[in-house]
Amino acid sequence: MLKKKLVAVALVGLFPLGVMAAGENNIGTCGWGSKLFDGQRGVAPQVLGGTTNAIGSQTFGISSGTSGCTQDGVVKSNWKTAMFIDGNKEKLARDMSIGNGESLDSLAKLMGVRDADKPAFFLAAKENFARIFASDNASTDQIVASLKQVLAERSDLSVYSTAI
Amino acid sequence: MALGVFFVRCVHYFSMARWGLCILLYVLPFAAAANDYLDELISAARAKHLADQLQWRALLHYKPRLIFSGVESQADDPEFFNAPDGKTNPEHELEATLAAFFSNRVETPTRQNPQCRFIARYQWLKRELKFDPARLPEQPCRRYREWRDTLNPDALTLVFPAAYLNNPASLYGHTLLRVDAQDQDERTRLLAYGINYAAATNETNGLTFAVKGIFGGYPGLFSMTPYYSKVTEYNDLENRDIWEYELTFTHEEIERLLTHAWELGPVRFDYYFFDENCSYYLLSLFDAARPELRLTDRFPLWVIPADTVRVVTEEPGLLRRITYRPARSTILRYREQRMSAEQVVLAKAIARGTEPLAAPALAPLSDVERARVLELAYEYLEYSRLRGEAPDAARAAARLRELLLARSRLTVAAETPPPTPPVRPDEGHRSARVSIGVGRENGAGFYQLNLRPVYHDLLDPEAGYNRGAAIEFGNLVVRYREQEERARIERVDIINILSLSPRDALLRPLSWRVDFGLVRKPVNSADDALVFRVNGGAGVAGEWTRRSFWYALFEADVNTNDHLEKGYAIGAGPAAGALIDLTERWRVQLEGRALRYGVGAVHSGDELALNQRVTLGPQSALRLELARKHEFSQTTREATLSWSYYF
Repeated sequence: MLKKKLVAVALVGLFPLGVMAAGENNIGTCGWGSKLFDGQRGVAPQVLGGTTNAIGSQTFGISSGTSGCTQDGVVKSNWKTAMFIDGNKEKLARDMSIGNGESLDSLAKLMGVRDADKPAFFLAAKENFARIFASDNASTDQIVASLKQVLAERSDLSVYSTAI
Repeated sequence: MALGVFFVRCVHYFSMARWGLCILLYVLPFAAAANDYLDELISAARAKHLADQLQWRALLHYKPRLIFSGVESQADDPEFFNAPDGKTNPEHELEATLAAFFSNRVETPTRQNPQCRFIARYQWLKRELKFDPARLPEQPCRRYREWRDTLNPDALTLVFPAAYLNNPASLYGHTLLRVDAQDQDERTRLLAYGINYAAATNETNGLTFAVKGIFGGYPGLFSMTPYYSKVTEYNDLENRDIWEYELTFTHEEIERLLTHAWELGPVRFDYYFFDENCSYYLLSLFDAARPELRLTDRFPLWVIPADTVRVVTEEPGLLRRITYRPARSTILRYREQRMSAEQVVLAKAIARGTEPLAAPALAPLSDVERARVLELAYEYLEYSRLRGEAPDAARAAARLRELLLARSRLTVAAETPPPTPPVRPDEGHRSARVSIGVGRENGAGFYQLNLRPVYHDLLDPEAGYNRGAAIEFGNLVVRYREQEERARIERVDIINILSLSPRDALLRPLSWRVDFGLVRKPVNSADDALVFRVNGGAGVAGEWTRRSFWYALFEADVNTNDHLEKGYAIGAGPAAGALIDLTERWRVQLEGRALRYGVGAVHSGDELALNQRVTLGPQSALRLELARKHEFSQTTREATLSWSYYF
């Protein structure tokens, strides 16, 4: 029990919320601040092959501040998982509450979860729903941090806690 | 090494002038050598008539000019061309492009070398002219390579978000392209990227958007988003079903398409709603991949997204597989039908908060039933929230989480998804229609011709279309009356939109109609004339059974014509009707309206109609329309039998 708490504290200490160098881990801000069940938002489309500040990227009505995470319209690889979570919170919450779903499958793929581990991964997410989505306006950072903790606590899934 | 020789030679000179001369003397031979190679390439290109070839035409989007001879590119951005007259001169453009490839410009995040900026042209010309890398060094084009490698392309899918009529902006559907990755499987399509062409604007005023969109007032741009973002936008925010058509383009063709999409990204093409719209430019990407397809040439006048899906699905061997992705509203209706009425009402109450989450009514339900009620409550509340209809946003968010939390405590498998509809949008009747008919009007015979370029009305065969949705542009009816021995225009529907959406326990949409055009009707107790009419109405619709529904609207009607007393008449009144599908092919419609015109030429206009349609084949149908009209004390009894052909 104590060991679990120490591990938890250590993990929290390693991932303070706020700006982090992109190379160190996958979580930073990259401009997003959207919350669960918040409002309409999505990924701003980027114009291909042009300037990163081309008019296309600002003119479409829905957007979240995801500039800096993408170059020429594709997501820089170290932001991919976090950006997917950021853009699919409600769907992920719904899929986790049921224990399966397309968005959850996609998250598992992004995190590199092996097929054999998927049932345990889905079950862990479902059983810990209350922790992962701790509030009804949870931010991406909070959700990711909670998910990491949940995975780290299980010996069969702890290897994936570093994948996000 | 060349630099080393330069320093060895030039370092012996001390004065600036001589430095300059040295540099010039050293560089000029290189410049001259580059020009020599350029001249060689240009000669080779002329000898092979490369500027006339389909691939060059496809990459530059050249189309024959309407009035003058020659061609003109549809690109409206000077940055797309290397020659000053590139827009109209394929040969000059090709030669200027070759010259541009010799540039030394270094790539930055905001600017590319011409070889990379025009990479599809570069790759094609390199293959055709067999560029010598020693004489024309190849640029690394890192930005393109990284983009392409991230996409990791394996296949292309044409994505068709179908029309959802209560949203006028979605009238004709839309098409976008999805680039499927090598490591993608059945369950991870969401991670692919979508390429989308759309008008770039923040306009929210529907009318301004419609007018400017029709007349080329917006730039159209190609953009890229993760596919999951598009699914959310269409399925959840706009409640449109999505159809995914996987295509069989080869890897080489996909490379050609992607290099061309890269070229097109920052290029402005004026967006024209009717003919140079999202679907047209996606077809132009397919033409770049496989120029023999010549898909854009098949649409000289106007382009409807569903028609572009048709040409793709009908091209032999191009279609691999089709997947269906229902909208949230479709899912809600499907689930409602699978639950008892009490459970649907309970789910709605729990969603709205009028029943607590631990409602006593939930207790006797089995785990599966309880799971379904919670899921329906969640989907319904999320649907309302995204439409801005949830009264208290903060409470809605809290309730949504509570619903999911309660669901997470139940070990019940997911609900089955709605089945794929038996008829796809591209399998419905074609968009244009011609009808010929005979009839009697107050005992006198007539012949009738009806021409409609687009799109669908309540009596056309419904398979593949939305129930209760009708849109017509440019519908023309001409009648030849035997007694008068002349043909006259009976009506011209410039725009006619009708959206009848049945209400149920959960979804309560508004039904509405808008139409304006010309219609021949009585203007006083003796004469008739072609009257300009604007009509709008709003109301409700409901379903009796899966095959029958009713509607009731309140309409306002404005008529103008010089022969009307005071030149105009403004009226209002109720309209109601029912649609019944007696069999799969046989539909009956009963409709009545009573308009009272109180302003201008005061009068009343009543109408009662009984219409029937029998579908004969996928592209033909028979109609019998009976009507009794009374206006300005003129009574008209009319019967028309017509045969329609869709093409």
